[in-house]
Amino acid sequence: MKMKKFINKPENIVAELLEGFALSHPSQIRLTGSHLVARAVPKAKGKVGVVTLGGSGHEPGLSGFVGDGMLDVSVAGEIFAAPGAPRCLEAIRLANYGAGILFIVLNHAGDVLSANLTMEMAKREGLNVKMTLTHEDISGGTNPEDRRGLVGFLPVYKVAGAAAEEGQPLNACFEIAERMGRNMRTLAVAVRTATHPSTGQPIFDLGDDEMEIGMGQHGEAGTGRMPLKSADETAEIMLDMLLKDLAVKAGEELLVIINGAGATTLMELFILFRRVDQILKARGIKLARGKVGEFITTQEQAGFQLMIARMDAELIRLWDAPSNAPYFVSR
Amino acid sequence: MTDAVTKNDFARMIAGAAAAIRSQHAMLSELDCAAGDGDHGATMLRAVDRLEAAFAPGGPEDLKTCLENAGWNVLGVDGGASSSLLGVFFGGMADARACEGPADASGLAAIFEAGLAALRKQTKAQPGDKTMMDALVPAVEAMRAAAEGGKSVGETLRVAAAAARAGAEATRNLTARYGRAKYLGEKTRGHEDPGAASVGLLFEGFYKGFQNSKGETSNA
Repeated sequence: MKMKKFINKPENIVAELLEGFALSHPSQIRLTGSHLVARAVPKAKGKVGVVTLGGSGHEPGLSGFVGDGMLDVSVAGEIFAAPGAPRCLEAIRLANYGAGILFIVLNHAGDVLSANLTMEMAKREGLNVKMTLTHEDISGGTNPEDRRGLVGFLPVYKVAGAAAEEGQPLNACFEIAERMGRNMRTLAVAVRTATHPSTGQPIFDLGDDEMEIGMGQHGEAGTGRMPLKSADETAEIMLDMLLKDLAVKAGEELLVIINGAGATTLMELFILFRRVDQILKARGIKLARGKVGEFITTQEQAGFQLMIARMDAELIRLWDAPSNAPYFVSR
Repeated sequence: MTDAVTKNDFARMIAGAAAAIRSQHAMLSELDCAAGDGDHGATMLRAVDRLEAAFAPGGPEDLKTCLENAGWNVLGVDGGASSSLLGVFFGGMADARACEGPADASGLAAIFEAGLAALRKQTKAQPGDKTMMDALVPAVEAMRAAAEGGKSVGETLRVAAAAARAGAEATRNLTARYGRAKYLGEKTRGHEDPGAASVGLLFEGFYKGFQNSKGETSNA
């Protein structure tokens, strides 16, 4: 099938999308330096800066979460490709308000490599940076290194960003990010491929009547290709795997996020959420908070990510804290 | 010194590498469609533009500074792991003492070994994992062996290019164990690794570019 997208020259996609994003949210964000997405009004001195990086083509991830109460700076790479270390270092310098910087990195090979190089350069400059890696995709197997970072970045940005905004020191912000990270699990399912906006090629093949559980953000193969199932059946299979992996017990409190991949409707996501809630109730597990929407997408890929996270009182308080990030406004 | 590599020779090696990538970028993207997202050719085009810029006339005259700039430029390509790894490789070459003066074959091998050593600090990938290391490691080893055997710089670059090409070709029968492609596992069999193919082209270009600079006849 021929690609149908409203773009101009493929090589200008990233620059043009960032420009449009900044122009449409002038009170919250601005572009600065070499196309870094930063807050319109920088944070006060003496607070921890929060920085992230990631490829483009996943909008509103990741730059949609720059704003008061969340990120300070986001470094957007090329389509589906991590930005290099030089721009990440520039972002770390920009987010240095004198209390250190928390660098939140999603576990993908290119991102981790850039982040490691950035950390070396930052240390040489004497910058006080701590890096936290999100890797909560259970389809990667039991080895944490093989688990990719999916929509779990959202609660980590949120709780660590809120802690930084409160003026908590770097060690505390880092500990909160790590605690959030340890207590979350995600599983993705895909039913239809996306086309790469630069090449016009489909990024994977999936039969008309199939779905694949465990599919990564860029069409990386998952664990289970199976005939397409109903919303209820799909939610049951995926939630069951997640609850087992996180070893959730009755009485515990969960945050549940359902993230649309780009072409799956809110209608479907709400139908799925309804079934997730029913299952949790039946098992005596409390839904502390829920969120449904598009936070990280892959073009017109159809499918969704289901994330669960075990919450404690402090994590809930930080999740509820105010934010004016364009795609996470909370008062 | 006649059989030695100066900054200008290195610039021609880089120009040769850039030409090799430019002539084959579509093939690189095609290989990447099999196991990645099909943008490897585009990434490599940006990388060689930036490599060449570091050696452009009017820039620094010493090889060490040019290599440092080349590494930094390629890191800034924003093309995911491939451009970061290449940036580390070229930037790491600047750590070799041999790049402070005209390098003979042994000095040239030392420069490439320094690049490989820097790379190994950033990735655990080994030959056999279906990555650029499958072409790079044998190429650098072949350079060292040729230099130790008293071969000329041109001959050293020729055997390195042959080893890189052979290494890239051998990735066809391997299963990816690193990077994004590892999640595709067995599905990656039957296709050359795009990163290894790129390294094969770069080394072929180094050799051709050096031959152009010395006006020697190519017997490749």
